[in-house]
Amino acid sequence: MFVFLLLYKKKEVHVTTITTFYLSRVVGIKAYDSNGKYIGVVKDLLVESDSSNFTSGHPAVTGIKIKRNKQLAFYSFQQFQVEKNNGKIKIIASQLTNLSEEHINNDLSLIESVLDRQIIDLNGRKLVRVNDVRLVSLANGTFAVAVDIGIEGLLRRIGIAKPIKFGLSVIGSNIPSKFILWEDLEAIDFSNLNIKLSKTYKKLQTLHPSDLADIIEDLGRKASAEVFSALDEEQAADVLEELEVETQIHIIKSLPIEKAADVLDKMPADEVADIFDALGDEKVELLLNEMEKDTSQEVRELLDYQGHEVGSIMSTEVMSFDENATIEEVLSILRAQKPETESLYNLFVTNEKDVLIATFSLRDLVVSESEIKISQIMKPSPVRLHDDQEIDEIAEFISKYNMLAIPVVDQNEVLQGMVVIDDVIDDLMNKRRMNK
Amino acid sequence: MFKNKKSFFQRIAIFLAILGPGIITGSVDNDAGGITTYSVAGAVYGYNLIWTLIPSFIVLVVIQEMNARMGIVTGKGLADLIRENAGVKITFFIFVGLLIADIGNTTTEFAGVAGSMEVFGVSKYISVPIIGVLIWFLVVKGTYKIAERIFLLFSISLLMYVVSALMGKPHWSEIGHSIIHPQLEVNTQSLAMIIGIIGTTIAPWMQFYMQSSVIEKGLDMKQYKYSLIDIVVGCIATVVVAFFIIVACASTLHENGIQINEAKDAALALKPLAGELASQVFAFGLFIASIFSATILPLATAFYVCEAFGFEAGIDKKWDEAREFYILYTGILILSAAIILLPNAPLILISLWSQVINGLLLPIVLICMILLVNNKKIMGEYVNKPINNIIGWSAIIVLIGLSLTLLVLPLFS
Repeated sequence: MFVFLLLYKKKEVHVTTITTFYLSRVVGIKAYDSNGKYIGVVKDLLVESDSSNFTSGHPAVTGIKIKRNKQLAFYSFQQFQVEKNNGKIKIIASQLTNLSEEHINNDLSLIESVLDRQIIDLNGRKLVRVNDVRLVSLANGTFAVAVDIGIEGLLRRIGIAKPIKFGLSVIGSNIPSKFILWEDLEAIDFSNLNIKLSKTYKKLQTLHPSDLADIIEDLGRKASAEVFSALDEEQAADVLEELEVETQIHIIKSLPIEKAADVLDKMPADEVADIFDALGDEKVELLLNEMEKDTSQEVRELLDYQGHEVGSIMSTEVMSFDENATIEEVLSILRAQKPETESLYNLFVTNEKDVLIATFSLRDLVVSESEIKISQIMKPSPVRLHDDQEIDEIAEFISKYNMLAIPVVDQNEVLQGMVVIDDVIDDLMNKRRMNK
Repeated sequence: MFKNKKSFFQRIAIFLAILGPGIITGSVDNDAGGITTYSVAGAVYGYNLIWTLIPSFIVLVVIQEMNARMGIVTGKGLADLIRENAGVKITFFIFVGLLIADIGNTTTEFAGVAGSMEVFGVSKYISVPIIGVLIWFLVVKGTYKIAERIFLLFSISLLMYVVSALMGKPHWSEIGHSIIHPQLEVNTQSLAMIIGIIGTTIAPWMQFYMQSSVIEKGLDMKQYKYSLIDIVVGCIATVVVAFFIIVACASTLHENGIQINEAKDAALALKPLAGELASQVFAFGLFIASIFSATILPLATAFYVCEAFGFEAGIDKKWDEAREFYILYTGILILSAAIILLPNAPLILISLWSQVINGLLLPIVLICMILLVNNKKIMGEYVNKPINNIIGWSAIIVLIGLSLTLLVLPLFS
C-alpha cells in the first residue's frame, strides 16, 4: 500500500496536489461549486467496474451521487476536485455535468456494493468485510486504490479512531491497519443488477477451484449463484465438484437448465450422479434430457446403483487397451485423448468382450521400450471390486494393496469403471462429518 | 427409475434434518435465566403472570418465522444483513450490547450449573471449572454437533418440570381463572417481572442463532413449511415448559408464602413441599438447561460479533486463521465462569443488568429485522405480509412502552 503511494508520488512529481482520503470522510459532507455555493450532500461515489478499462491499474472515480432537497442526482466526477486542508476534506465542483445513463448503470457504487460488504481477497483467498475505501486524487483523476479491512477503519467509521490512536500513541502502541490493494480484490455483492457480471469477475479465474468453492459456500444465496454463473464452463465444473451438497443443489437450481447441463457435461459422471441423488427427481430428468447423450447415459447407469454400492461412487472414465497393443500405440492414444490425471492412476487390459484381464501402471508404461507389447508388462488376475459390493469394503482394499485406483467389474467380469482413492476419502470424510 | 430411491427411513431422516433450528432454539430459550425468571414469577405472583406466555408465544413464532424466512431467502446471517444495511454505528452499538448481555447471560448459566449441583451437594468450586473446561474442549475439539444432539435429547428432561409441577398438586380451575382474570397490581416490580418474562423468552441473541441454524441446514423455500412446523413445535415446547415451571412454583412456594431469588432456591424449597424427587428433578432440569445454553451462548456470540465486523469465524477454522473468534469465545467462557467463582459475586445484580440490556436491545434488533424483512431488494417476493408487520410492530411498540414505563414509573411513586 505505502510502497504504491510512494511510487505514485515519484511518478507524478510535477503534480502539485496529491490528496489521499477515505470514502467515509467524504460521504455525508457538503459539496460546493467553485464560487462557494452549496450543491448538496455527497451520497456515493461511482468507480469503473471493468478492470480492462483501468488506465492506471486502479478504477477511476467516474461519478458522484449528490442529494439536495430530497432529490438525488448523478454528476460526472471529472469536474470535481477533492481538497484537503488541515485534515478537512472539501469537495468542489467547477461545473455540473449529468452522468450518462451508461455510467450510472454499469459503474460500481462504492457505498452500495463495496462499503460494509464482503469482497474476495484474492491473495488471502477468503471473504473479508470492507470497513472503508482509500482513494487518491491526482491531476489526471481520482482513483480507488485499496480497501481498509482493519480495526482502524472500523474505529474511524464509528468516529473514535483519533482519540484511541492518541491514547495508544502515549503508551507507544498503535491500532493495526490492514489494507487490500484494488488489484487483489473482487467485489461481489452488487445491488446494481445491470452490471455485466462476467466482465467484473474476471480476476476470479486466478483462484484455485477449491478456494473458490470455499468462498462461494460462504456467500449469500444471491451472490453465490451470481458468482458461479459468471465462471466459464470448465472452471464452473471444477468448482461445482468441490462444493458441499447443499450448495451444489442451490447452484444447480438457480442456473438455467441449459447452462446447468453444460456445466454438468464437463464433470465426471460419478460426481454428477452424486449431485442427482440429492436433487429432486423432476429436475434430474430435465437435466438428463438436456445433457449430451453419452454423458447422460453414463450418469443414468450410475444412478441405478444403490447409495451403499461400489458402483455409485466409481468413476467411469477409465483407459483400457488390448493386450497386443505396443507401448508406443498406447502412448499415442494417451497423447491424443489427454485424459484427466485421475484416469491414469491405473490402466487396464480388456479382451474383446470388455472383460478385465489385467492392469498395468503408468510407471511401467513410460519405463518400457516403445516396441514392447502390453502383454509383457501387464499384471494378470488383478485385484478388483464388484459393482454391487459394499462401499465400506473399499478402504480395506485400498490400504491392503496400496492402490490409487481399483478396477470395478460386474458379475460377468466386464470392466465398468474404477474407484479412485479421492472418492473413497470423500466418502469417509462425509461419514465422519455426519457422526460429528 | 428414481422412484423409491429414498427409503421410508431416509425420508424421516430428511424430515429430522430439517427439523431442528426451531426446536433447539426453543430449548436453549429455557436456560438458567429463563428458569429463574419463571420460578420467581410463580413464587411471587402465583398463577397471575401465566397469561404473559400467550402473547410471548405469538410474538416468538412471528419473530422466528421472519428469521427463518430471511435465512432461507438470503442465505446470510442476521449480523451480516444488519451490518450491510444499517451501517457501522448501529451494528457497533448492537454488538457491544449483545456482547455484554451475553457475558451476563453466560454468567447466569454458570450460576445455574453451580446452583443445581449444590442441590446434589457438589461445591461450585468443583462443578464450574470442570464444566467450563469440558464445554471449551467439546466445542474447540470439533465434537460440537454431537454435543448439540445429546443436549437436544437431554432437553426432553425439561419436560420433567411437568412432573415437578404435578407433584405440587396445582389447582387447575384457579389456573384457568387467573389466565382470564389475572389479579395484578401494576407497579415497578410487576412490570419488571413482565418485561423479564418476555425478555427471557424472546432474547435478542436468539434471533441471530435461529437465522444461522437455518442457513446451516441449507433449506430452500420448498422446505419452508417444515421449517414453520419446526418453529411452532419449538415455541410450544418453550411455552409449555415455562408454564409448568410457573405452575410448580406457584402451587407450592406461592401458596406457602416462600420468596426466592434463584432457581436453586426453588429446587431447595420444593423439597419439603413436593418431596425430594420433585426437588431433584427440578435441579437436574436446571443443570442440563444451564450446560446446554452455556455451550451455545459463548460460541454463538463470538460468531456473530466476528460476522458483523468481518473477522474469520467458525470452529472449523484454525486458531491462527480465526484468532479474534477464538479469543472472544474463550474470553467469554473464562470471564463468565470466573465471575461465579468470586466469593460474594453480585449474581442477582448481574442477571438483572443483563436482562435490562436484553430489554433495550430487543426492540432495536426487532426494528432492524422488520426493516430488513420488508426490504424488497433483500427479500424479493418474500417480504412480510401485513399480518406479520402488524404483530411485529405491535410487539415492538408494547416492548418499548413497557421499558419506558418501567423507567418512568419510579419517578411518580
